[in-house]
Amino acid sequence: MAKFRLDKFKPLVALGLFLVAWWIVPTLSKSFLPFLRVSFTEFQAPAWIVTSYLDDLEEFWARRSHSKIELIEAGQTLARQKAFYQLLDQRNNTLETEVMRLETILNMPSRREFRYEVARVIRRDLSAWWQQIVIRKGDDYGITEGAAVIFAGGVVGRVIEVNAFTSRVELITSPNFRMAASFEGDDRPVVFQGVPQSGFGAPTGAVRDAPQDLVANTHEPLQLISTRLGGTFPPGLIIGKVGWLEPGSSGIFQAGEVQLDERLLSLHEVSVLIPLTPLVYDRDVD
Amino acid sequence: MLIDPRVLILLGANALLLHLCLMVNSSLAPFSLYFVLLGPMPVLPALYLNQRSFFLCTVLTGLWVDAALPTTFGLFTCTMLTLGTVIFGARIRFRAEQNYHPIVLAHAVNLGCLIMLIPFEGLQYLSSTAFWIQLLITCFASHAALLIIAPWFFNLERLLFQLCNTDQDPDELPLS
Repeated sequence: MAKFRLDKFKPLVALGLFLVAWWIVPTLSKSFLPFLRVSFTEFQAPAWIVTSYLDDLEEFWARRSHSKIELIEAGQTLARQKAFYQLLDQRNNTLETEVMRLETILNMPSRREFRYEVARVIRRDLSAWWQQIVIRKGDDYGITEGAAVIFAGGVVGRVIEVNAFTSRVELITSPNFRMAASFEGDDRPVVFQGVPQSGFGAPTGAVRDAPQDLVANTHEPLQLISTRLGGTFPPGLIIGKVGWLEPGSSGIFQAGEVQLDERLLSLHEVSVLIPLTPLVYDRDVD
Repeated sequence: MLIDPRVLILLGANALLLHLCLMVNSSLAPFSLYFVLLGPMPVLPALYLNQRSFFLCTVLTGLWVDAALPTTFGLFTCTMLTLGTVIFGARIRFRAEQNYHPIVLAHAVNLGCLIMLIPFEGLQYLSSTAFWIQLLITCFASHAALLIIAPWFFNLERLLFQLCNTDQDPDELPLS
């Protein structure tokens, strides 16, 4: 009779021990697995940063191949745009001073001020399971968890993880993302939430708790913008457009689909809004 | 030697595959295409290495993948280790020196990883049609890409064994 070989069970025993240890370790030490995760993430971060810098270098050499005439034309266009934006800046400063003067007269509470930190996108993880991007700035630039992220087209998302040199941002297309919003010209708050993306067409989201009297149609879509509520986003940032509204599940409010900016799927650069005076829960909630 | 040098080679190759895969996914994001190409990673460690080296290589690979992807930490470590152990237990039945069996195994492991992602990462989206559409596209795209990637990857790993002058035969097989 062949000898019964116990050694063939060795891999199964090792697997079992590992799984049991993986299950038990978090109960013994809550910081061990997060430490392990952060260690591995930080270990591979340089590879992503180098890849990103190589991309920049590639762009630089691609631009160097342009002719002088093309560069001169691009410079002229930029100069015109700069002059235009300088005018806008002057007007913005005048209006801001006027707003501050009126706020002082009316004794209104101060608004949250933000510092803008522009960051390169080094990776996009957009799949059926997650909708996130990784940016090339982290703790080294004072990025904080929960900070708002925006781009030229409006709201991008929220920082959910900060590492030493990189940060992970959850996009507004993610079903885990939810924020307070309002329609342009209407102060009443509504709720915006990301939805699973089918992958066909532009990204979408969902709006709910919209008042009954609002009417939207595809010819005159309603613009959804951010509000001051929640404290993360400054008011007035574009979220998307709502082409139709229908009675929601409660029957009291309306709900609808939000058409988001297509550029969200191919972002290269974003701005992180870092609050100059971070919210202190105990102090600010009262 | 304390550890088999092939552990480092296979670990490096796995890290390279993951990095390239995520780079491609990042570039394809505007087209809503996403590749999950984790299947080939635990196959050659399970077919070539001894039990201790296989265990070490697969755990490190799993942790590397878990840290890179926004999943529940440990999901791919445990999945790869479990599927790798199954392959390890039956490795006498597979021919490691040719690509046919490893490719089939890579597809099976990849499917296992995709299936594990559904309950652990997509449980709240199960009622959404959009989720299932994108999941199907991801599955088809990943397995189609794997038909090209897997042979290249296994050949690369064997080439690295050769270049680094390491043992090119599987360990602990009764015939070796």
